[in-house]
Amino acid sequence: MRGFGEIAERLRRSTVQVFPEGRGRGGGSGVVWTGDGLIVTNAHVARSGAAEVELWDGRRFRAKVAARDPRRDLATLRIGATGLESATPGDSDSLRAGELVIAIGNPLGFAGALSTGVIHSIGKLPGMGTERWIRAAVQLAPGNSGGPLANAQGRVVGINTAIVNGLGVAVPGNAALDFLHRGARPSLGVVLRPVSQGLLLLEVEPNGAAAAASLKAGDVLLGSFDDLNDALDSGREVLRLQFVRDWPVNGRARVREVAVRLAAPAEAAA
Amino acid sequence: MANELAALSNELAAAVEQAGRTVVAVHARPRFSSSGVFWRPGVIVTAEHTVRREEEITVTLPDGKNASATLAGSDAGTDLAVLRTDAAGAVNGRASRDPVAGNLALCIGRSEDSGVNATMGIVSAVSGAWRTWRGGRLDHYIRLDLTLYPGSSGGAVINTGGEIIGVATSALSRIAGVAIPAATIDRVVDEILQRGHVTRGYLGVGLQPVELVDRHKKALIVLSLEPEGPSAKAGVLIGDILVALGGKAVSDTEEVQLVMEGYAVGQQVEAEVLSGGAPRKIAIAVGERPRRD
Repeated sequence: MRGFGEIAERLRRSTVQVFPEGRGRGGGSGVVWTGDGLIVTNAHVARSGAAEVELWDGRRFRAKVAARDPRRDLATLRIGATGLESATPGDSDSLRAGELVIAIGNPLGFAGALSTGVIHSIGKLPGMGTERWIRAAVQLAPGNSGGPLANAQGRVVGINTAIVNGLGVAVPGNAALDFLHRGARPSLGVVLRPVSQGLLLLEVEPNGAAAAASLKAGDVLLGSFDDLNDALDSGREVLRLQFVRDWPVNGRARVREVAVRLAAPAEAAA
Repeated sequence: MANELAALSNELAAAVEQAGRTVVAVHARPRFSSSGVFWRPGVIVTAEHTVRREEEITVTLPDGKNASATLAGSDAGTDLAVLRTDAAGAVNGRASRDPVAGNLALCIGRSEDSGVNATMGIVSAVSGAWRTWRGGRLDHYIRLDLTLYPGSSGGAVINTGGEIIGVATSALSRIAGVAIPAATIDRVVDEILQRGHVTRGYLGVGLQPVELVDRHKKALIVLSLEPEGPSAKAGVLIGDILVALGGKAVSDTEEVQLVMEGYAVGQQVEAEVLSGGAPRKIAIAVGERPRRD
């Protein structure tokens, strides 16, 4: 079809490879958001404070992580470059199931690989809180994370983030716009997993709010994922959280309480 | 330039929206829900293999509300189950032409959390009547080259015009999704609404094709007999060789099943067997295939 090649090529030039610093883990992708070097990617791609970014033409830049919202899995990077070909954002709220979409990224190290498909559905994901996600029937692989999901006009409507049951899951483009305008929302700085008793902390980031309050990996926070999200979004600076440490196999668990001081929201990136 | 692509994209989304008004989420198994399609007012069809309980079945309607549904009956052979619900529901138009290999096709499903969902691919093969490994007969074999995700089975398979081709199932073929054709669904829905299930003629014999030495042709030897089954009652013995059924020569089980389609439960079918080499004619009263629980 005429025009498709151009749309794909333009989008490819606005897609970058992201190599996070430290941790010998594979890289991801990113979207050039402004011509002066603002790049949007996933928080799980920009895990450390700095990264390397490679443009479509092979130029490499050192990038600083400007903001991270681990709860929405979004981050912004800054590189010292100008005159970049930036992506055009689309309106993710008007997306409909069945629309054609294009994903570009660097799956398994193939730079600029393209896959096409359709929007599968838009809405909540079971067990992932109240946020809306885009699910797309497109072939993704590790390395697509942080890259663009675009509509038939080549406008970016989502940031590819995960693969669930074979479906591509993307953060809606409008959530990315929101993040760019308002900055990261407060977070605990933990990786957690819902368990029957509550929320099990799998990892506690060394400089996060939870670490500062002496929470440790293995602690179980009482309450549901949605409750925690609501508390984080309530605007309170200090959260009182109940948790259990060393949950006993038999006998009663001792419920402790901790006050977590949340960091002030980071500066908005754009 | 790019307008063609955008126009196609809009057309697809419009087709999904139209067909989506007839598609429900079916909650009849643990964990994943499946999908279902309003086939007639108040009548929903879904994939039988996704219905794992007979009570407390609910459906999420296109308007997002949940309603209770009752199982009117099911047919494992064609992988169809029929549900009744109080909501009338919108019913979609049938495809005016049969699909051919290469046509674009979409599978429309629904889930409670994220509403209508769609996947797209092509019809990869169409052939005539086809017997499934579960024993039912589909009017056409319509193979789909599109990904069926968990929850897609029971969803509507439509063309780009939003017209319905059939209902999707992942359980009838190991290699691909299959659309159960609209004509088959009409037939099965009729029978289930009348009788509660689809009856299939049953002889109660286990057969194995064998070559007849003297005549250079094949027939079927009786290897097992259902105790008190239709054939046992009629006097068929283990070791008998079935050479013809209903006046037609039979050489494999497919031919036997084809003949049986012409006989309703209770009718007599004449079997020609070789008993210890001697030809014998036996009238068997066709029984009803025992249904799995």
